This record gives sequence, C-alpha cells and structure tokens, in this order.
Amino acid sequence: MKCDSCDNKATVFYTQVTEGKLKKFTLCESCAHQKGITDPNSLLMAGEAFKPSSGSGESSGFVSSDRSNSGYCDTCGFTLGDLQKVGRLGCPDCYGAFAPEIGRRLSSMHKGESHVGYVPSGLVHQIELDESFKKKELELEKAIFDERYEEAAQLRDELERLKAEREVGK
Amino acid sequence: MRFATLMKHPADWMASGDSETSVVLTSRVRLARNLAGASYPGWARKNERKEVLSKVQAVVRGLPGMQNGFLCELSDLESLQKQVLVERHLISREQAARNEGSAAVINRKQSLSLMVNEEDHLRIQAIQPSLNLEKAYRLAHQVDQELEQKLCFAFDAKWGYLTACPTNLGTGMRASAMLHLPGLVLNEQIGQVLKGVGKLGLAVRGLYGEGTESLGNLYQISNQSTLGESEQDILRHLTKVIGDISRYEQQARQRLLKNESVMLKDRVGRAAGILTHAQIISSKEALNHLSMLRLGADLELYSTSLQEVCDRLFMGTQPAHLQWAAEKKLEPEARDILRAQMIRDQLHSILPPAIDISE
Repeated sequence: MKCDSCDNKATVFYTQVTEGKLKKFTLCESCAHQKGITDPNSLLMAGEAFKPSSGSGESSGFVSSDRSNSGYCDTCGFTLGDLQKVGRLGCPDCYGAFAPEIGRRLSSMHKGESHVGYVPSGLVHQIELDESFKKKELELEKAIFDERYEEAAQLRDELERLKAEREVGK
Repeated sequence: MRFATLMKHPADWMASGDSETSVVLTSRVRLARNLAGASYPGWARKNERKEVLSKVQAVVRGLPGMQNGFLCELSDLESLQKQVLVERHLISREQAARNEGSAAVINRKQSLSLMVNEEDHLRIQAIQPSLNLEKAYRLAHQVDQELEQKLCFAFDAKWGYLTACPTNLGTGMRASAMLHLPGLVLNEQIGQVLKGVGKLGLAVRGLYGEGTESLGNLYQISNQSTLGESEQDILRHLTKVIGDISRYEQQARQRLLKNESVMLKDRVGRAAGILTHAQIISSKEALNHLSMLRLGADLELYSTSLQEVCDRLFMGTQPAHLQWAAEKKLEPEARDILRAQMIRDQLHSILPPAIDISE
C-alpha cells in the first residue's frame, strides 16, 4: 500500500474519528513524521480530536494502531489488535499475515482446518502446479543432501519449467 | 427495473400454497466471495469500496440470470425501501445499514440476489420454496461460476475462499431453511429438538437471522461450519436434519389432533376469531395468530387455501411492507389499525366474520 502523500511504501496507519466521522490515513515514515503524526504531542494534523492513545482514558476519538509489538498486514495495514477487537479481517492478504493466530481459532469455529469443496475453475491448475512445485523442491533438497547430483540437475530443470508455467498462469 | 415494479409481484418462492411447504417454507443458500487484493468492505475506504462496486457491477450487468433485474445502490434507496428488502430476505439487516458503495442486485423472480459490499465484497443468494437446498445451491453456484470467469476471487488452496470473517472461511457457504414448527411448540418438544440441532453443529435463529427472536413459530436452521466439509456434504447433512425435524413436526401435529383435539381446535379457533375481528393488531400478535391459522389450514380444519393467504400475510403485514402498501410512513398505532384491516380483508372470502363491525 502506498503513502497518501508520496509514492513510498506506507508504514504508518491511522484511524481517526472526528465528530462521529471515520478518517483513515496511510503514510510513509517520513511523511508521517513531517505531519507530526508520529509525535504524540503534535496536534498539527488531527487538531482537537487528536489525543494520545496513552492518555487518561477520557473520551478520546482517536484509535491508534500500535505496530511496535504486534504484527500487521502489509497490504492493508490491518493489525492483530484490530482482529482481536472486531473479529474480522482487513483484506484477503491478512490471512497470510496472521496465519498462526487465525489457524488457532479455526478449530473452535469449523469441523476441519483445511478446505474441502469447490475450487474456482481457473485456479484448479494453478493449485496443482503450486503443489507439484513444493513437492519437487523437497525432492531437490533431498537429492542434493544425498549427493545425487544428476537427479538434482534434472529436478532443478523441472522446477524452472514449473516456475515459468506458474508465472504464465498468474 | 424500478423498485415499485419489483414489489408489484410476490417473490417466486412466496405463497406456493401446497403441502410441500407446510413445514419448510423456504430454502436459502448464500455464497460469500471477495476480490483478491482489495480490502474488505468493513475496512476499505469509501473510494476503495466504490472501485470494487464498479468492477462487480460491470460484470453483474452481463449475467444472463440478472437481465431485466433490479440493481440499486443502497444510498439511492429510502430507509423504508431497504426495510422492505430486509423483510423479504433479499438483503441482510447488515447491508441495510450501509450506504454509499454498497448495492443490491435482484432478479425479476426474486429468487436470486447479489449483495455488493455487505460484510464481504459479494454475497450471492438463491431462495427456493420448500426444502430444496440442492436447487438453491445450484442456482447460486451457477452465478458464482459465471462471475469467476471475469472476477478474480480471493482463494487459498488450504483455507478456501478468504472471507472477511473467519467464520465463513472455506466454502463461504451458508445454507438455511425457514421452518414453521407450531406442533413442536404446542407439544413443548421444541426446546429438546433445538438443543439436538445445536449438538449437531447447526445453528437455529429467529425470523430475521442472528440475534432475532422466534416469532410465529418460525425458525431458521443453518450450517455453522464452512471449513473442512464440501458443499455437498454440508447440504446433505442439513437436508437430512431438516427432513427429520419436518417429520417430527408432522408427527407432533397428528398427535395433537388425536390426543388434544379440543385444545388444538381452541387455539386455532381463537386465532381465527381474533384475526377476523380485531381492529388493532401488532405485528408480533398477528404473526403468532397467523401461525395458528396456518396450522389449522395444514390440518384441514379450514380450507387448505388459507395456507397461501397466511404466507402472503406473514410477509404483507410486516411493518415496512404495510407502509409500502399504504404508500406512506405510518406511526406504529396507525400500522396496527391498517394491519388488522388488511388481515380482515384478505381472510374475508374464506373466513367471513360472524359479526361485521367494520362499518
């Protein structure tokens, strides 16, 4: 996700509630610093509604997403704290970002822990390719470990071919 | 299609009035789908939601099953219109609360509806009369397959369809049926049956889904788990359990007729008396009496054509439907008077009132 002010990668995500209206800011480190966002004492951007989240607990309209000690999703900026708060996710990529936490919750919600059922027709081939790629990768590792170099070279070629095929599919 | 045109006709699945629907009124299947790489509606900014909407809209317009359908942004609907769609189960309560960037698409027969930017980017829903989850699934699945040709859905080989809430992960499918269970309620077996349903990993809800109370002895039963079982397994299990409950209900009705015939006829007769004579009636009271009257029709204590009338009134006497018919917003007191009048009018030819005090 890009910074709202420049083309750099965004790493600072703010949610601000002013007069009942939700506003989201997505900024890179330096733009955030320029706007005084990273400095809790600055009121430049958020004006009156801005109160440091570590404040005295009075009705602060500001919700900070603390990234210092919890993971967050690179694609949408959703944090683990957000997930714990709302029970829903920010975007499909959050499943990758919070895989262990989500994995732990699944057994209490569902009968199984992996998908059995319909696969979108366009993805059937792609998934097969992914699976055989992973399998061949393991085989290659093992072949190298066992010093079966001729076989390893063959596997390496096959992996190259699968990789190219995967790229075409995407 | 305009909203008024959509509302002119009853939905295809409403008021079929045959013995098939005596216990299971409708079957519903919805599939949750999301676009890969886009934030879920609850987290997306307004412009992101609008982007998703325009992408989805462009594809939906081309769907063969949606030709001449109704397509509308939620922000263009009045609150009364939204409420009518909720009462018809064509959009969810959650979606009714949304505005800009959220849209509803409904086919002419009202058997298919698409919710854009509800909790997920897309929810495909199909409704069928009686117990026919398989057919409802087939209809929704067909739309899903048509859409996936043009839209890239977020899908993971291990976790299946990646939905906004992990409770829908996997198939993204929620299948449910609406059951009318007055026999089990009168027999006081309902608690036991519902407890059993819960133990089987299925969910029971009231008339309008999660967190709503059961009115008119109507219950919704649906699958809870969406991961680790195929669509077919979920549908098969649900169909079996609902079929069993349906049989228990029929047995309960027959037992009541045999062992407690006077009590049963008293309940049905009182409901008929109130519905044909009341001048003021709340929606809750109406639903409960209509439920008894419907039971009477199913047991042939009254003309069986009453079942269809009761089903029509179940829907038509809901607050928003009532106000839509009256073409104006009404205070609850005025609604209660109009509701009583509508019920008396519709029942008049089958159950003429003993004393006509309407003049």
